[in-house]
Amino acid sequence: MTTTIASKPATEKRVRKPIDWGRVVTYALLIVFAIIYLGPLLMLLNTSLKTLPEFMKNATSPATSFHLKNFADAWNKANFPRYMTNTLLYTISATIIYVIAAVFVAFPIARNYVKGAKFLLTLFVIALFLPVALIPQFQLMLSLGLYNNPLGYVMLFLVNPIGIIILVAYMKTLPKDLDEAAVMDGCGYLRYVIKVVFPLSVPAIATVAVLHAIGIWNELILPTIYLTNKDYYPITRGMIVFQGVYGSNWPTLAAAVLIMTLPMLLIFLLLQRYIVSGLTSGAVKG
Amino acid sequence: MVNYQFGRGRARLIPYLLLLPGILFYVVIMLGPSIATSVYSFTDASGIKGAAINWVGLQNYREFLFMGQASRDNYAALGRTLIFSFFVTTIQFTFGLLLALLVNQKLKGVNFFRTLFFMPVILGAVIIGLIWSLFLYPLGGPLAKVFALFGMQSEFLGGQPTVAMAWVIFIQIWANLGVTMMIFLAGLQTIPSELYEAARIDGASSWQVFKNVTWPLLTLSVNTNLLLCIIGSLQAWQLFLVLLGYRNGTQVLGYLIFAQGFGQTSGSVTSAFRQGYAAAASIVLFILVLVIGMTVQTILRRREERIMG
Repeated sequence: MTTTIASKPATEKRVRKPIDWGRVVTYALLIVFAIIYLGPLLMLLNTSLKTLPEFMKNATSPATSFHLKNFADAWNKANFPRYMTNTLLYTISATIIYVIAAVFVAFPIARNYVKGAKFLLTLFVIALFLPVALIPQFQLMLSLGLYNNPLGYVMLFLVNPIGIIILVAYMKTLPKDLDEAAVMDGCGYLRYVIKVVFPLSVPAIATVAVLHAIGIWNELILPTIYLTNKDYYPITRGMIVFQGVYGSNWPTLAAAVLIMTLPMLLIFLLLQRYIVSGLTSGAVKG
Repeated sequence: MVNYQFGRGRARLIPYLLLLPGILFYVVIMLGPSIATSVYSFTDASGIKGAAINWVGLQNYREFLFMGQASRDNYAALGRTLIFSFFVTTIQFTFGLLLALLVNQKLKGVNFFRTLFFMPVILGAVIIGLIWSLFLYPLGGPLAKVFALFGMQSEFLGGQPTVAMAWVIFIQIWANLGVTMMIFLAGLQTIPSELYEAARIDGASSWQVFKNVTWPLLTLSVNTNLLLCIIGSLQAWQLFLVLLGYRNGTQVLGYLIFAQGFGQTSGSVTSAFRQGYAAAASIVLFILVLVIGMTVQTILRRREERIMG
């Protein structure tokens, strides 16, 4: 198995030699992959700009007249403003509450300021292996009367073990002298965490917040299970309904997908650094 | 050693109080329910509010594993889960490493490529499902046209179960390859360039450099990626939902749990769901993930000790 894994990159290492064709192979491979990644997106964009008859006649022909009406149609027909507002409310409120709670969990664990800090951290680490919580969680929400309830739905997103692990790892790198200096100045614990730990941990907090927000934005299973009232639907659930109704109308559907994707793409391009560091944070530390 | 200086006596409780909400959320919403899954697996819970929940002992497990056609279907789903995981892991690992080696070079436009390959991580299952359903549009979509060039025809996602499965594997890899690549890239960037230069001066070939410098020094990234790929792919099922729906011959364990516990298409609580049975299936999947995860972890640890001493 080792040999099959290793044999592919071997050709690529030739790039380090001053021979030009190694570079050519590299670019050729990168371009092949780029086509696989860009192709579906370009198809989506192109389709969203065509009329339905145009699409039916030839699905891949380039859009000739920019038929922007698809976007207006999608926006109006799909009850988009409603779903979008719901998603925004869920995402923002859950992320803010989660991040604040997470900082107050992570800091004392990182500093060993509470008894059993190691045990608490382990508790979060094992989450990766745990069985699916869906069924007892559902029973719990049902008995608490939080089924089909936006508040209950937000509650489900106040948890993210990986975020805690990232925060703990980062806070361990903050100099301990700061704590001592704060104590000397008579600064209390709460004030210290708010005024010093929060601002110093901004890179890690941003990482955790962005990852968490993306997860909520894209969540499909939980709204399917917990929200039956259409007025509460987030955009993901709305898209599935829309697909059910306009499944054969690909131009409008493509426009709807683009409307849903653009905010995320924008966030991705702006905050890519944080997303990368969040998803790769386990790599170097092992 | 607890070394807290911010106060004594009652003030000593402040960090505990502030930590409490976060721990509580975790225990109530995730850890508790997760553990309670094993309890529910011995009941006939239905998911109807107010309905009695009875203890049925091992009945769910017996039915899941040993009873008639249903259990044969379950084994088929289990087999598919393993096949899916095997292909996703090997391919995603290999190509993730390849891409990382490619984009770790000083090239023009290398940042564009990194961003592009990483981009799908922000797209959820819904968007990925719709984007690929369009790209694989069988009636003259882009890929159908490419196939037609070679005189071939395919229904893609609507075709034979094996064909549909192959496409879900492909799309799963497409969606997650960027993460694998970035983890390898982070590992590659910790390898000091002097090592490469020294190897070059000693006249090592590219293959020797990879084998003796890059590969051993990547051990941590290799371990992380393998474990993440294996565990992730064993539990993955959302792309099956958005790309195929609950179709015979394509179900994996994760989807089976959802379908049994919450109905196949929607979450309306009008009909009775077999939540006890689904909980038993969750435990089967959990044991599968645990056994495979632990085995791989042990093997990787041994290898790590051998390489790193």
